[in-house]
Amino acid sequence: MPIDRPPWYAQPLLGLAATLFAAPLLLLVLASLKPPEQLVEDPYALWPRQWQGSNYPRAVSSMPVTRYLRNSLILAAGSVAGSLLSCSLAAYGFARLRWAGRNLLFGVLIATLLLPWHVTMIPRFLLLRELHLYNTLAALILPTFLGDAFFIFLLRQFFRTIPEELSEAARLDGLSEWGIYWRIILPLSRPALATVALFQFIASWNDFSGPLLYLSDPRHFPLAYGLEQFISSYADQTHLLLAAAVLFTLPIVVLFLVAQKVFLQGITTTGLKG
Amino acid sequence: MRRRRLLTGLAFVSPWLLGFALLVAWPFAASLYWSFCEYDLLTPPRLVGTRNYQRIVREVGGGGPLGQALWNTAYYALVSVPLSIALGIGLATMLSWKVRGQAVYRALFFLPSVVPVVASSVLWIWLLDPRSGLVNRGLNLLGLPAQNWFKGPTEALAPPGWLEFGSKDALVLMSLWGVGNFMLIYLAALGEIPRQLHEAAALDGAGRWQRFRHVSLPMLTPVIFFNLVMGLIQSFQAFTQVYLVSEGTGEPAGATMLLSLRLFLTAFQDLEMGYASAIAWLLFVVLLLATAALFRSSRHWVHYSGGGR
Repeated sequence: MPIDRPPWYAQPLLGLAATLFAAPLLLLVLASLKPPEQLVEDPYALWPRQWQGSNYPRAVSSMPVTRYLRNSLILAAGSVAGSLLSCSLAAYGFARLRWAGRNLLFGVLIATLLLPWHVTMIPRFLLLRELHLYNTLAALILPTFLGDAFFIFLLRQFFRTIPEELSEAARLDGLSEWGIYWRIILPLSRPALATVALFQFIASWNDFSGPLLYLSDPRHFPLAYGLEQFISSYADQTHLLLAAAVLFTLPIVVLFLVAQKVFLQGITTTGLKG
Repeated sequence: MRRRRLLTGLAFVSPWLLGFALLVAWPFAASLYWSFCEYDLLTPPRLVGTRNYQRIVREVGGGGPLGQALWNTAYYALVSVPLSIALGIGLATMLSWKVRGQAVYRALFFLPSVVPVVASSVLWIWLLDPRSGLVNRGLNLLGLPAQNWFKGPTEALAPPGWLEFGSKDALVLMSLWGVGNFMLIYLAALGEIPRQLHEAAALDGAGRWQRFRHVSLPMLTPVIFFNLVMGLIQSFQAFTQVYLVSEGTGEPAGATMLLSLRLFLTAFQDLEMGYASAIAWLLFVVLLLATAALFRSSRHWVHYSGGGR
């Protein structure tokens, strides 16, 4: 069929676009392996004059990486647990139960997706400060236990695809709604839950504005924020900065390569079935 | 029975409901109230009527820093959103071609969108350095003039002219690199277009471009609309990369001072919570009007196939 035949310029065009998209990351990795003098004397060289792997251990030892990493992992793990629990509960309420006011509240939930965070930023900050959460990781983790509109929407879309007969049968067997949620719906929803866990992990790992607002003590800094401190104090040590950026990105790239399918499906469901 | 069902439903959504009340509804109301107050955190908020809003009008009208921030934000949104739509559709179309290495290309185009903003900012500040950056080097090799991307000292003296690029264009470039999310949604939408439509058009003698223009593009309009609305909201909220490229100063010459950064500095550096709340509401109202206009216009150009969705 002629409509399936790609145009003759397909491969060259794709190749060009792929080069442009991949080049920044490749250049970053190459530069992170250059000796520092080369970056200054010959900034345009693509290839390292000599492979200087020692940039990496030096970047690591020039900041308290273990502590930052521990904070990042606590933050990410806590937030993933919070989002999975609170969002799956709410999604079950919206997708699998019929009750007065459900559609109204769901409309409210969707409307909050359009609300820019600036409008609520200041009162939210002051509220969490009143609760003595300022300068604790809890200020960033606790809100995830109170649901996220985007994830609730994503899970609700998935829960709705599970046949209602399963719930009916379970109800006849005397299972409570909680039992149906916990023993039937959740186990059947592993792919969707994996998507939420993955997106939340990345959001927490990458989050910069949260720590900027809520954390002041370096003991609590996660990597994303620690790296920024590094930027301002090592402005002249480009080689270390680039190496640190590579190390910080690496887990996310690995995660993407391992869980590519989860990513692609998650983004497609939320975008298309709106 | 009805009552029990209601209570069960509410019990399941209660974590979200609590979060909505504490972290959305109350803050929403409080910031509206505070936008009519003077509030420096040390003393309780004091009502001052519309003084904060008068100050906004004065600063915007007089071309003050806030006016510049508003202009910068509008520029960033108006340039980055349409370009990201064009690029997203272009890449998705290329990925829909059945060629070897399709999956690799898809991964390569998508990957930059998951690179942490802190890391991608470091990367682009280095690449776009006006003196030693590799992007300017690449432009030179192609016979094109070098540009004053980030921290170009002359950008402070003379703003970039027509077809000259400055710091805001650098921010646009960074956002385009992360177009992968929307690209995937376009790709999925292209895959859902019924084959018969393309076949019928081909039988009628439509070429590749005509099929794209008259079959694919109309079928993509719902996604384009979604992209416009979400892209607009995202570009108005862009903060991390804006903060990082200038270390929170908006330099050079306020060129990267976007509303979100101005708001942050007003609140947490100047401790003017009342004025900052008014700026937040200005941002919210501008965004609301723009979104409403998009929704109104959508009737004329968004094509929903098969009636109900």
